[in-house]
Amino acid sequence: MNAFSILLLTEIRIFLRDRMMLFFTLLFPLVFVLLFGLLMGGMGDVDQASLGLMVATIADADALARSLEDTGLRETRSFDSLEALEESIADQRVDFGMIWDGAALRFLYNPARLQENYAFEQVAAGITAKFNMQRQGTAPAIGVVRIHAGEIESVGWFNLVLPGILAFSILSSGLFAVSGHLTQMKERNILDRLIVTPMAPVALLAAIGAVRLAAGFISTLITLGVGILVFRLDFTIDWFRYVLFVICSTLGAMGLGTLIALLVRRPSSAGNIANASAMIMMFMAGIYFPVEFMPAFLRVVSSLMPLTHMANAMRYVTGVLDMSDARFWVTSASFLGLALLLFPLTARYVVRPLRR
Amino acid sequence: MKDILTLARAHVLTAFRERETLFWFLIFPLFLLTILSLIFGRMSDGQDVHFSIALINDPSAASAAPFSPSAIIAEAFAALAAPTDSGHQPLFAIETPQAGQDRDGFLEEKLVELRRGQLAAVLVLPPDFDQRVMDTLDAGRGAPSAEAHLYMSATSVASETAASIIEQVLAEVDRSLLGRVGRFDESRAIAHVTGWVGERESEVDYVDFVLPGILLMAFFASGLFGVPGTILFNRDRKVLRRYWVTPLSVGRYLMGFGAGHLILCALQFTLIVALGKFAFGASISLFGPTTLLILILAVVTFLAFGFLIASLAKSANAGMATANILNMPMMFLSGMFFPITGLPSFMRVVVLANPVTYLLESLRQSVGVQSGTLMPWPWTFVVPVLWIGICTFAGVRRLRWDVQR
Repeated sequence: MNAFSILLLTEIRIFLRDRMMLFFTLLFPLVFVLLFGLLMGGMGDVDQASLGLMVATIADADALARSLEDTGLRETRSFDSLEALEESIADQRVDFGMIWDGAALRFLYNPARLQENYAFEQVAAGITAKFNMQRQGTAPAIGVVRIHAGEIESVGWFNLVLPGILAFSILSSGLFAVSGHLTQMKERNILDRLIVTPMAPVALLAAIGAVRLAAGFISTLITLGVGILVFRLDFTIDWFRYVLFVICSTLGAMGLGTLIALLVRRPSSAGNIANASAMIMMFMAGIYFPVEFMPAFLRVVSSLMPLTHMANAMRYVTGVLDMSDARFWVTSASFLGLALLLFPLTARYVVRPLRR
Repeated sequence: MKDILTLARAHVLTAFRERETLFWFLIFPLFLLTILSLIFGRMSDGQDVHFSIALINDPSAASAAPFSPSAIIAEAFAALAAPTDSGHQPLFAIETPQAGQDRDGFLEEKLVELRRGQLAAVLVLPPDFDQRVMDTLDAGRGAPSAEAHLYMSATSVASETAASIIEQVLAEVDRSLLGRVGRFDESRAIAHVTGWVGERESEVDYVDFVLPGILLMAFFASGLFGVPGTILFNRDRKVLRRYWVTPLSVGRYLMGFGAGHLILCALQFTLIVALGKFAFGASISLFGPTTLLILILAVVTFLAFGFLIASLAKSANAGMATANILNMPMMFLSGMFFPITGLPSFMRVVVLANPVTYLLESLRQSVGVQSGTLMPWPWTFVVPVLWIGICTFAGVRRLRWDVQR
């Protein structure tokens, strides 16, 4: 058996024995998916929203009733007084309110619900438009048919978020995989014993990388499976490109992780730097917040982040975002190139005993 | 007293010397406040919001009509794409097919750009659009309306927003067309009035909404990571053992540690509030007596949580892992960054058991950005106090102050 095979077997054993590492690699991304799936699954949808209605006059009652049909809201609740309606909106027992006094349609919102009010305001604008048409006995001459341009029919914001979470977990585990493990080996003086053997430094890095690559790949499949089964998300996965990209991006992230291993001595420091860089990139790469709304200079910064390209490529291979073939191959090749460049370049510097 | 102050000073100095601590406790909250204010502050202000869209119409088909609805629509969008006096970018940048360019080819090209996120929406007025609108206007109520096709991407928030704005523009044009043929009287239109519950006359500014959340997040990270980190690393490296051979008692050590922790939280508070006020124009006051009381309650609650983690973990690394596992669910299931109103019932149990929910709600209420709470007011104090009691009890009973021999 050559050095690489022995190291590979050892690394597999170490990985399987480390329950914490197993949890953080395989199951922790699931926490993200379940948490954000539940929080963001229905974000912007009004089908769970309720309208509180206070009618102070019988004028145009029929027109009003017809205007409130097909709003898409979950329920409409009637209130006898403005105070009761305001209290219910403030306590979030109803989401927004409408008052018809014969002169104007007044819509009331909770000023603290600024992430949701936009969707409620859209419904309110639709109700007023329909009411005005109904009152004057007319109907719109122009209708708008919304057509989703993507290839998947049932998509929402969370369809875009989940591949982003996959990219984020590939990046964060990749950054930590090599740096965390090597610093741990240094701290426990295991590396001191290994480097006096004829083992090539690259063989050790390759063994660590291979085990973490396999674990990371399984983790993406579990996360994707939970997204599909629990949240009924629909993806059109190009499996060939998916496998290829997960391999290239994980190797690229591990390559970047070797740079961290150059800088730090302790596993906790490696974990902190990996976490901090991944977190900053997560907020800048449009994983949870749309890049399109960032100021121009932040969009430029975002385009320089590896995670931005990783997330977009993951969205592409799962069929929720289009991308030119050339861009996909360049992105994949760049991550692979990063690994091929950094692994041999940094191996002799990171695979050495702790400075004392 | 001197030993307590010396320990507090040592705790603060150690935190300053550790770059990781500085990052998570100070730089990260400041970074998050900056990035969230830059993204969502702009969205709620509508400042510099800009969408690239494509408009495909065929005005030649309108030659027989007394006026061209598609031309009116094109004019309305051109007005929204014109340079503004304020110096901000116009709302839309509009791409249209060149004269003689194949309409279907142009549409295909723009749909690819839409899928790639380079365009926010594509509005297509079919070749017979003008005639169909005129037919509908002539036929009156009951006639099917002429359809405009609005291509958008359901996965893109920008595309969703652009599509909603385009629909509003088309609704306005529709009303003006109905007015032209006498089927809609604008002067009889019912006004649409927007109001807010409570004493506010407008929606809360995003920075005012997010600032209390960022403050609590910073305190939370200090308690959850800082407390077990310091105690467990000092225990594992046998630093604590050296303290115990001096006349210092555990109680006095905790007082010194707590005082140092309070100083760090005060520093976090000062920097975050200063950034919010001076860089992003936050208008809320965080210096009222109730607000300060809630902030102190938050610091103590998270400090107690830190002790609970320190008492449960066998090593410093296990403590950090436990803190990591608790961190995300507790922060996100409190309404700190995302609304929690649509959560299923089993998750609402977690929300209601989470002390961060109550501290956040009462803090937002005390600074006037929230008018109601999920639970009546005594609970906003009772639940965090209960957690302080549980965590302190567990900490006192389980926490080991020295490495096992």
